[in-house]
Amino acid sequence: MTTMLLILHGLLAVALLGAITHQAASVWLPVRKPAGSLVGRFRAVSAASYANTIVVLYLCTATLGGIIYPEYRLSIRIVLEQLELWTANGAFELKEHIATVGLAILPAYWHFWRQPLADEYARTRAALTAMLAFIVWWNFLVGHIVNNIRGFGS
Amino acid sequence: MIRSRSFAVFAIVFAVVYPIAYLIAVQKNYALFTYHPAMNQFGVGVQKPQTGPAMYWYGWMATAGIVASATGLVAAWLPERWTRRLRSGWSWLVPLCTMLVFAYLLRNYFLR
Repeated sequence: MTTMLLILHGLLAVALLGAITHQAASVWLPVRKPAGSLVGRFRAVSAASYANTIVVLYLCTATLGGIIYPEYRLSIRIVLEQLELWTANGAFELKEHIATVGLAILPAYWHFWRQPLADEYARTRAALTAMLAFIVWWNFLVGHIVNNIRGFGS
Repeated sequence: MIRSRSFAVFAIVFAVVYPIAYLIAVQKNYALFTYHPAMNQFGVGVQKPQTGPAMYWYGWMATAGIVASATGLVAAWLPERWTRRLRSGWSWLVPLCTMLVFAYLLRNYFLR
Protein backbone atom coordinates (compact mmCIF):
# COMPACT_ATOMS: atom_id res chain seq x y z
CA MET A 1 0.00 0.00 0.00
CA THR A 2 2.80 2.41 0.97
CA THR A 3 4.62 1.61 -2.29
CA MET A 4 1.50 2.45 -4.30
CA LEU A 5 1.03 5.71 -2.41
CA LEU A 6 4.72 6.54 -2.87
CA ILE A 7 4.41 6.06 -6.64
CA LEU A 8 1.27 8.21 -6.70
CA HIS A 9 3.07 10.83 -4.58
CA GLY A 10 5.93 10.80 -7.10
CA LEU A 11 3.61 11.08 -10.12
CA LEU A 12 1.73 14.03 -8.59
CA ALA A 13 5.08 15.64 -7.77
CA VAL A 14 6.16 15.31 -11.42
CA ALA A 15 2.94 16.97 -12.60
CA LEU A 16 3.38 19.73 -10.00
CA LEU A 17 7.01 20.20 -10.98
CA GLY A 18 6.04 20.64 -14.63
CA ALA A 19 3.24 23.07 -13.90
CA ILE A 20 5.18 25.30 -11.49
CA THR A 21 8.27 25.32 -13.73
CA HIS A 22 6.15 26.37 -16.73
CA GLN A 23 4.56 29.13 -14.69
CA ALA A 24 7.82 30.35 -13.14
CA ALA A 25 9.53 30.41 -16.55
CA SER A 26 6.69 32.39 -18.12
CA VAL A 27 6.75 34.90 -15.23
CA TRP A 28 10.52 35.37 -14.93
CA LEU A 29 11.51 34.86 -18.59
CA PRO A 30 8.47 36.03 -20.57
CA VAL A 31 8.64 35.84 -24.36
CA ARG A 32 8.33 39.22 -26.08
CA LYS A 33 7.55 37.91 -29.57
CA PRO A 34 5.81 34.80 -30.94
CA ALA A 35 7.76 31.76 -29.77
CA GLY A 36 9.36 29.59 -32.42
CA SER A 37 11.59 27.27 -30.45
CA LEU A 38 10.70 24.59 -27.92
CA VAL A 39 12.19 26.69 -25.07
CA GLY A 40 10.32 29.74 -26.31
CA ARG A 41 7.01 27.88 -26.33
CA PHE A 42 7.81 26.53 -22.84
CA ARG A 43 8.08 30.13 -21.62
CA ALA A 44 5.09 31.40 -23.60
CA VAL A 45 2.33 29.65 -21.64
CA SER A 46 -0.50 31.57 -19.97
CA ALA A 47 0.84 31.61 -16.41
CA ALA A 48 -2.45 32.47 -14.70
CA SER A 49 -4.18 29.37 -16.05
CA TYR A 50 -1.81 27.17 -14.03
CA ALA A 51 -2.55 28.61 -10.59
CA ASN A 52 -5.60 26.54 -9.59
CA THR A 53 -3.99 23.34 -10.85
CA ILE A 54 -0.81 24.08 -8.91
CA VAL A 55 -2.75 24.71 -5.68
CA VAL A 56 -4.68 21.43 -6.03
CA LEU A 57 -1.56 19.45 -6.99
CA TYR A 58 0.42 20.94 -4.10
CA LEU A 59 -2.31 20.04 -1.60
CA CYS A 60 -2.68 16.50 -2.96
CA THR A 61 1.09 15.91 -3.08
CA ALA A 62 1.60 17.27 0.44
CA THR A 63 -1.30 15.24 1.81
CA LEU A 64 0.07 12.03 0.28
CA GLY A 65 3.53 12.91 1.60
CA GLY A 66 2.02 13.32 5.05
CA ILE A 67 0.32 9.92 4.80
CA ILE A 68 3.51 8.05 3.85
CA TYR A 69 5.76 10.09 6.18
CA PRO A 70 5.44 7.63 9.14
CA GLU A 71 6.88 4.86 6.95
CA TYR A 72 9.88 7.11 6.24
CA ARG A 73 10.26 7.81 9.96
CA LEU A 74 10.18 4.12 10.85
CA SER A 75 12.02 2.47 7.96
CA ILE A 76 14.27 5.03 6.28
CA ARG A 77 15.37 7.73 8.68
CA ILE A 78 16.70 5.17 11.13
CA VAL A 79 18.82 3.66 8.34
CA LEU A 80 20.10 7.09 7.31
CA GLU A 81 21.15 7.72 10.91
CA GLN A 82 22.83 4.32 11.19
CA LEU A 83 24.74 4.97 7.95
CA GLU A 84 25.61 8.48 9.22
CA LEU A 85 24.21 10.07 6.07
CA TRP A 86 23.72 13.42 7.79
CA THR A 87 23.39 15.53 4.63
CA ALA A 88 20.57 13.37 3.28
CA ASN A 89 18.93 13.36 6.70
CA GLY A 90 19.20 17.14 7.03
CA ALA A 91 17.96 17.68 3.49
CA PHE A 92 14.83 15.70 4.32
CA GLU A 93 14.36 17.62 7.59
CA LEU A 94 14.51 20.83 5.57
CA LYS A 95 12.07 19.32 3.06
CA GLU A 96 9.41 18.77 5.71
CA HIS A 97 9.79 22.32 7.05
CA ILE A 98 9.79 24.15 3.74
CA ALA A 99 6.89 22.03 2.47
CA THR A 100 4.96 23.38 5.46
CA VAL A 101 6.02 26.94 4.61
CA GLY A 102 4.74 26.25 1.09
CA LEU A 103 1.33 25.41 2.55
CA ALA A 104 1.37 28.74 4.37
CA ILE A 105 1.81 30.78 1.18
CA LEU A 106 -0.79 28.88 -0.87
CA PRO A 107 -3.78 31.14 0.01
CA ALA A 108 -1.76 34.26 -0.89
CA TYR A 109 -0.42 32.62 -4.04
CA TRP A 110 -3.96 31.67 -5.12
CA HIS A 111 -5.33 35.12 -4.29
CA PHE A 112 -2.70 37.08 -6.22
CA TRP A 113 -3.09 34.82 -9.27
CA ARG A 114 -6.86 35.30 -9.36
CA GLN A 115 -8.17 36.76 -12.64
CA PRO A 116 -8.22 39.54 -13.63
CA LEU A 117 -4.58 39.95 -12.59
CA ALA A 118 -3.79 43.19 -10.77
CA ASP A 119 -0.68 44.89 -12.18
CA GLU A 120 0.37 46.27 -8.78
CA TYR A 121 0.86 42.72 -7.47
CA ALA A 122 3.06 41.51 -10.34
CA ARG A 123 6.18 41.47 -8.16
CA THR A 124 4.39 39.62 -5.34
CA ARG A 125 3.06 37.06 -7.81
CA ALA A 126 6.53 36.54 -9.28
CA ALA A 127 8.13 36.15 -5.83
CA LEU A 128 5.48 33.73 -4.56
CA THR A 129 5.79 31.68 -7.76
CA ALA A 130 9.59 31.56 -7.48
CA MET A 131 9.36 30.48 -3.83
CA LEU A 132 6.87 27.76 -4.61
CA ALA A 133 9.02 26.60 -7.55
CA PHE A 134 12.08 26.40 -5.29
CA ILE A 135 10.14 24.45 -2.64
CA VAL A 136 8.75 22.00 -5.19
CA TRP A 137 12.16 21.44 -6.83
CA TRP A 138 13.94 20.99 -3.50
CA ASN A 139 11.32 18.58 -2.21
CA PHE A 140 11.22 16.61 -5.44
CA LEU A 141 14.99 16.18 -5.65
CA VAL A 142 15.45 15.37 -1.95
CA GLY A 143 12.57 12.88 -1.97
CA HIS A 144 14.01 11.25 -5.06
CA ILE A 145 17.55 11.04 -3.64
CA VAL A 146 16.45 9.68 -0.27
CA ASN A 147 14.30 7.10 -2.02
CA ASN A 148 17.32 6.05 -4.08
CA ILE A 149 19.54 5.76 -1.01
CA ARG A 150 17.18 3.38 0.76
CA GLY A 151 16.40 1.45 -2.40
CA PHE A 152 12.95 0.96 -3.81
CA GLY A 153 11.01 -1.87 -2.20
CA SER A 154 13.90 -2.89 0.07
CA MET B 1 -14.96 43.55 -3.67
CA ILE B 2 -15.22 43.60 0.13
CA ARG B 3 -15.00 39.80 0.19
CA SER B 4 -11.90 39.98 -2.02
CA ARG B 5 -10.27 42.55 0.28
CA SER B 6 -11.05 40.45 3.35
CA PHE B 7 -9.55 37.36 1.73
CA ALA B 8 -6.47 39.33 0.69
CA VAL B 9 -5.99 40.41 4.32
CA PHE B 10 -6.54 36.86 5.54
CA ALA B 11 -4.12 35.43 2.96
CA ILE B 12 -1.33 37.91 3.76
CA VAL B 13 -1.72 37.54 7.54
CA PHE B 14 -1.89 33.75 7.23
CA ALA B 15 1.29 33.70 5.10
CA VAL B 16 3.06 35.87 7.69
CA VAL B 17 1.82 34.25 10.91
CA TYR B 18 1.86 30.57 9.93
CA PRO B 19 5.62 30.26 9.27
CA ILE B 20 6.47 32.20 12.44
CA ALA B 21 4.05 30.15 14.57
CA TYR B 22 5.39 26.96 12.98
CA LEU B 23 8.98 27.97 13.66
CA ILE B 24 8.15 28.68 17.31
CA ALA B 25 6.18 25.42 17.58
CA VAL B 26 9.17 23.46 16.22
CA GLN B 27 11.72 25.22 18.41
CA LYS B 28 9.68 25.04 21.63
CA ASN B 29 7.95 21.77 20.69
CA TYR B 30 4.40 23.12 20.99
CA ALA B 31 2.78 20.17 19.23
CA LEU B 32 -0.99 20.02 19.53
CA PHE B 33 -0.76 16.25 19.40
CA THR B 34 1.81 13.48 19.00
CA TYR B 35 1.71 10.56 16.61
CA HIS B 36 3.31 7.24 17.52
CA PRO B 37 3.81 5.56 14.11
CA ALA B 38 4.93 2.19 15.44
CA MET B 39 1.66 1.85 17.39
CA ASN B 40 -0.44 3.90 14.94
CA GLN B 41 -1.72 5.98 17.85
CA PHE B 42 -2.31 9.68 18.43
CA GLY B 43 -1.89 11.35 21.80
CA VAL B 44 -2.95 14.79 22.97
CA GLY B 45 -0.14 17.32 23.37
CA VAL B 46 3.56 16.51 23.50
CA GLN B 47 4.22 12.92 24.52
CA LYS B 48 7.49 11.06 24.95
CA PRO B 49 8.41 8.27 22.50
CA GLN B 50 6.90 4.96 23.53
CA THR B 51 7.35 1.94 21.27
CA GLY B 52 9.41 3.49 18.47
CA PRO B 53 9.81 7.18 17.69
CA ALA B 54 7.28 9.95 18.33
CA MET B 55 6.28 12.28 15.49
CA TYR B 56 5.47 15.90 16.32
CA TRP B 57 5.37 17.34 12.78
CA TYR B 58 1.58 16.95 12.38
CA GLY B 59 1.07 18.52 15.79
CA TRP B 60 3.33 21.48 14.97
CA MET B 61 1.39 22.08 11.75
CA ALA B 62 -1.91 21.91 13.62
CA THR B 63 -0.71 24.37 16.25
CA ALA B 64 0.54 26.81 13.61
CA GLY B 65 -2.60 26.31 11.51
CA ILE B 66 -4.92 27.21 14.37
CA VAL B 67 -2.86 30.27 15.38
CA ALA B 68 -2.54 31.53 11.78
CA SER B 69 -6.19 30.86 10.89
CA ALA B 70 -7.46 32.63 14.00
CA THR B 71 -5.15 35.60 13.47
CA GLY B 72 -6.06 35.79 9.78
CA LEU B 73 -9.78 35.68 10.47
CA VAL B 74 -9.54 38.40 13.11
CA ALA B 75 -7.47 40.56 10.74
CA ALA B 76 -9.98 40.00 7.92
CA TRP B 77 -12.72 41.21 10.25
CA LEU B 78 -10.96 44.44 11.18
CA PRO B 79 -11.96 47.73 9.51
CA GLU B 80 -9.97 48.64 6.41
CA ARG B 81 -8.19 51.54 8.09
CA TRP B 82 -6.53 49.10 10.51
CA THR B 83 -5.22 46.79 7.81
CA ARG B 84 -4.25 49.41 5.21
CA ARG B 85 -0.59 49.14 6.16
CA LEU B 86 -0.41 45.46 5.27
CA ARG B 87 1.94 44.96 2.32
CA SER B 88 1.46 42.14 -0.18
CA GLY B 89 5.24 41.60 -0.18
CA TRP B 90 5.13 40.37 3.41
CA SER B 91 3.37 37.24 2.13
CA TRP B 92 6.64 36.04 0.56
CA LEU B 93 9.29 37.94 2.51
CA VAL B 94 8.42 36.52 5.95
CA PRO B 95 8.08 32.90 4.72
CA LEU B 96 11.38 33.28 2.84
CA CYS B 97 13.12 34.49 6.00
CA THR B 98 11.59 31.57 7.93
CA MET B 99 13.00 29.12 5.37
CA LEU B 100 16.43 30.68 5.78
CA VAL B 101 16.14 30.38 9.57
CA PHE B 102 15.28 26.69 9.20
CA ALA B 103 18.28 26.19 6.92
CA TYR B 104 20.45 27.88 9.56
CA LEU B 105 18.99 25.78 12.40
CA LEU B 106 19.68 22.59 10.44
CA ARG B 107 23.21 23.64 9.40
CA ASN B 108 24.90 21.01 11.56
CA TYR B 109 23.49 18.27 9.34
CA PHE B 110 25.38 19.77 6.40
CA LEU B 111 28.59 20.80 8.17
CA ARG B 112 29.59 17.48 9.78
